[in-house]
Amino acid sequence: MDFNLSPLNKLVIKTAKAFCEREIPKIDAYMQEHKDYPPNLQEIFAKHKMLGMDVPKEHGGIGADNFNLILVAEEVGKTATTCMLPFFMNNSVAETICHWGTDEVIKKFVPPLCDGSAWASMAFTEPNTGSDPRALTLTAEPDGDDFILNGTKRFISMANKPGYGIFFAKDLSMKGKPFDTTAFVVDKMTPGITFSGHYELMGLDGADTCDVFFKDVRVPKANILGKQGKGFPILLRWIAGERVQQCAATIGGGQAALDESIKYGNQRVVGGFPMGYMQGFSWMLAEMKTKVEASRLMCYKTVKLQDEKVKGFEAASSELKVFTVPMIQEVCRQAVQFHGSYGYSKEYKVEKLFRNAMHAGVVASSLEINKTIAGMTILTQK
Amino acid sequence: MKIIVCIKQVPDVTEVKWDENGSLIRTGLPSIINPNDQNAIEAALVLKEEKGAEVTVISMGPPQVEEALREALAMGCDNAVLLTDRKFGGADCWATAYTLGLAVKKLGGCDLIFCGVEAMDGNTAQVGPEIADFLDLPLLSYAEDIKVGDGTVTIHQNLGDVTRVIEGPMPALVTCEKELNEPRIPRMDLVFSCFDKEIMVMGIDDLEGELANFGLKGSPTRLRKVFSPKRAKAQVEFLEGTPKESSQKLVEKLQEINAI
Repeated sequence: MDFNLSPLNKLVIKTAKAFCEREIPKIDAYMQEHKDYPPNLQEIFAKHKMLGMDVPKEHGGIGADNFNLILVAEEVGKTATTCMLPFFMNNSVAETICHWGTDEVIKKFVPPLCDGSAWASMAFTEPNTGSDPRALTLTAEPDGDDFILNGTKRFISMANKPGYGIFFAKDLSMKGKPFDTTAFVVDKMTPGITFSGHYELMGLDGADTCDVFFKDVRVPKANILGKQGKGFPILLRWIAGERVQQCAATIGGGQAALDESIKYGNQRVVGGFPMGYMQGFSWMLAEMKTKVEASRLMCYKTVKLQDEKVKGFEAASSELKVFTVPMIQEVCRQAVQFHGSYGYSKEYKVEKLFRNAMHAGVVASSLEINKTIAGMTILTQK
Repeated sequence: MKIIVCIKQVPDVTEVKWDENGSLIRTGLPSIINPNDQNAIEAALVLKEEKGAEVTVISMGPPQVEEALREALAMGCDNAVLLTDRKFGGADCWATAYTLGLAVKKLGGCDLIFCGVEAMDGNTAQVGPEIADFLDLPLLSYAEDIKVGDGTVTIHQNLGDVTRVIEGPMPALVTCEKELNEPRIPRMDLVFSCFDKEIMVMGIDDLEGELANFGLKGSPTRLRKVFSPKRAKAQVEFLEGTPKESSQKLVEKLQEINAI
């Protein structure tokens, strides 16, 4: 077992860090002013070839493994920027289309997601379900060479940006069959699609999360991803990888919270000494560091399972979330506490890190559904 | 056009920590490409994009310098050469310039050599000019702007209060200032593909030089002592009054100690 990072891993981290230091402050400044992403955001990522990282080279990507991708995710997570969401989404949706799509679908949709001209979305959640395919109410009815989609999707990120989303619908042509969820690659600017305003979220400042309304929206049959009625496994595979990226970014946030606390503990003088050297505070730093370190090691192990295509990776990614998210949320809470009243102020980064960390427990699958996945796997595996 | 860029790997002093005696803690210090050398790489890559060029980056140092060379390849350089040999160790500016100069000759020469103005760990600003001297090339130093014409290179030379425009015939050596450009961040695809490239390694036997001119033996400079200067403690005095009054008091104070 080798815990050392390779020269490639180290250069990936160094490059990601340099990108974050140069580009993220400008992006965040725009988002603070406009409450939305810069229109050229994906072009910025594309210019640095950070899109299509896990897309095979033959489809225009870099062909990187997931381990290197999560090293980037951790660096981006340290900045507490919301623009990590579009970065993750374009990468993961392009990879998903490559995995499940026909040559025609791949050629049509993957290059724009890699060159930054299109924004990706993933849309399963509806007003009354976030994880149960039987409860879907977005319907898809065949009509000639098309399907007609009607219904509503909820909490969809980057939905109102031009590009492509994978939308999951109840396929009315599969009525009576055991599985009736079909995944469609949808051009989000298709006539009949409208959007709500942005949700005001607790964290992820400036995110464009909104509802998507379908009214007689025509989607070509050729845009079906995978097989009809077999859409749910596409979601499960995607979200297993998304959980790892989300955890890596959250761990990055935890590391940043720790770093901020170390800095504050050295700077703030109490009774003639730096505050951090008081036992109560040094113990807090010790607890924070061990939580971050344990989470990071578990994340690295999990992503190795993903890269080695080990059976059971999906359950392992749920276990990762079950462990990591409460750990890092606690680290961020401790960081706020460490800063005292300043930690509750928007002047200090830990306030934002704390709010961001809370998203990981409920977005891209809740902690509770992950406990169910992990627990049921333990009971049923032989 | 062939361009050779000479770079040095240096400790990242922005990450420097000091021990209780005020000494630099070198253990675990990350290494970077010397900042001015990053400007030199960027200048070469801009010319490559504008006019077409083959850019070769060379560096002398221990085997771990490969890390800096890989990063230069990830920025877009075409080839990398590592000059490494225990006998190169302890080289001062002259011996370093001698070694790099021989390597340039061994590589068949070039149209332009770019160096950083100076390394952030030594600040001598001598290696570039000494390479030019060794290779008998025109030296265009402290470049804030570079233009390549038909067989000539023109730079804006930073001379502090004034900028001088100078031109020289190629081949020539240019030393690059930080104001010249903003070095690019490596593209992520090149970060991956740079590890597929082979780095040419040259030792003392490959360079066909005088053995007595390499490394510590070949270095005229003798290091007598390294120390951290003592920090002088001084009293702080606040000069009260309006801005005009306090300015007047400040001038009087400075005149008292013959500072102005």
